[in-house]
Amino acid sequence: MKPWLKKGKGLVVGRAHGKALVSLRAFTFAHGVDPSTGVVTDVRSDVRGMNVKGKILFYPFGKGSTTASSWFLETVRLGNNPAAVVTEAVDLSAVIGSVMARVVYGKEIPVMFGVPHTSYVDLKSEEEVFLDAGKGEVRTEE
Amino acid sequence: MHLDSAQEKTLRGELGEAKQFAMEIVSKVGDAVGADGLVPIKSAHVLAHYSSLHDAGVEVLERFANSGGKFAVPTSVDPASIDLQNWKSFGIHEDYARQQFRLCDAYAKMGGMRCWTCVQYQVCNFPKEGDVVAWAESSAVVFANSVLGSRSNKITAGMDIACAILGLTPRFGMLLDENRRAGVVFRLGLKSLTDLDYRSIGFFIGRNAGARVPSLAGLPSSVTSDQIKHLGAGAAAAGPVTMIHFPGITPGSKTIAEASGGAKAEEVEITRSNLSNIESDLNQTSELPDLVAFGVPHLSVNELGELARLIDGRKLKRGVKMYAYTSSQAYDMAERTGISATIERTGARISHSTDAEISPLKALGFNTVLTNSAKLAEIVSSEGEIRVGYAPQKEIIEKVTS
Repeated sequence: MKPWLKKGKGLVVGRAHGKALVSLRAFTFAHGVDPSTGVVTDVRSDVRGMNVKGKILFYPFGKGSTTASSWFLETVRLGNNPAAVVTEAVDLSAVIGSVMARVVYGKEIPVMFGVPHTSYVDLKSEEEVFLDAGKGEVRTEE
Repeated sequence: MHLDSAQEKTLRGELGEAKQFAMEIVSKVGDAVGADGLVPIKSAHVLAHYSSLHDAGVEVLERFANSGGKFAVPTSVDPASIDLQNWKSFGIHEDYARQQFRLCDAYAKMGGMRCWTCVQYQVCNFPKEGDVVAWAESSAVVFANSVLGSRSNKITAGMDIACAILGLTPRFGMLLDENRRAGVVFRLGLKSLTDLDYRSIGFFIGRNAGARVPSLAGLPSSVTSDQIKHLGAGAAAAGPVTMIHFPGITPGSKTIAEASGGAKAEEVEITRSNLSNIESDLNQTSELPDLVAFGVPHLSVNELGELARLIDGRKLKRGVKMYAYTSSQAYDMAERTGISATIERTGARISHSTDAEISPLKALGFNTVLTNSAKLAEIVSSEGEIRVGYAPQKEIIEKVTS
């Protein structure tokens, strides 16, 4: 595959790398990810059954309950959180969850937005991805 | 987002750890949504129920409370995950209750009003027209924007506490005039609406408004604030709706044209077949339920009275439980006025300070729930663990009592 590089905006800065988990549908942690395993349980998700743990998680936008930030944080507490989150539209749940994760658990989980989901189509789940939210860059080669 | 010098000091930690944590959250959100600054709020409404906050949420609330966090404005709280008074008799496990009570203690330590309800605007938190507030609870946000004429965005867990501690919220979204104008008009041509119709109308609007602010023409003049409460809850459960213009009710929107601010808006007719489609979508089973749940959002004392009138003299069928969820205040009044006695004689129970969608229904052994709440039906069905039926209150009572 050709090297893949996309620009976005860093909301919670930091660097991360890991395998991609790519969803093309609205995503939620609230009732949608089991915090005790990291497995996606949402019946309407296209990545149901996959695990967010340690992944660079891509989805277009958030949906559903405003408690999703707490569900996100519970995955952090249990060590099953994604390594970073990349979205097209701002998902406040991920932003707030990530800020709380740093303050409460000392974990850096970079969050970026502004990466069009149409560009995720060229990226496969399980592909190795490098992210630098400070630079607003996500790429498949270091 | 621009911070003034006092807010910069807060962010540097010069006003203590709790305010620093709060400012970190609020300023990040402000950056994320492109707010130009922070504005004062008149009240807050926060979440502190264990089923969604989990152990991590307990740690967050305790961190705020133990590092000097105090609410800067009058603050109310959504229902808990257990009936705070009678939880044992509802079968709640002690370990589960202990975590909920840790949330209660942390919340109380920060100075919150102890009215655990999702209808705070009927009980303890009354902003007036034009007031800026920071409320969680999607159904209450719709009521604040649409009926009270207050201004609130739908505030996410974690940010709710942060806004309450700072007494500030980022200026964006529904705080701005230009985002409050109606962009789609729903027209209702139906007469004689049932309790279920109001919820289904809301749900239909929520599904079809998209990101636009809707207005609704054609509600009967007899419409009550309780009916609007359930309509708004249905809309917020089905989509991103945070405001519905009701001409003649919503402050500043005497007419449909005023609601749209003169701009042209798409018109959508709400027909009987639209509502039937919503009903058949949410009503997934016709079997006899093991739980009937009324009161998502919480019933007012008037609605408890109406339930008492409908159910008086009947008996619940074997194997069926019926819980009516309400605020502690309405519960007390129902006790004093004999409403509770009438309801409980049938075998049904009133549960206060908690609500069905945030209580551990599956762990309590319920597999089939029947309700007239579109919000509850939507939440339960998307989790996929419990079967749900959706029907008018009268029909439900006839089905489960003799």
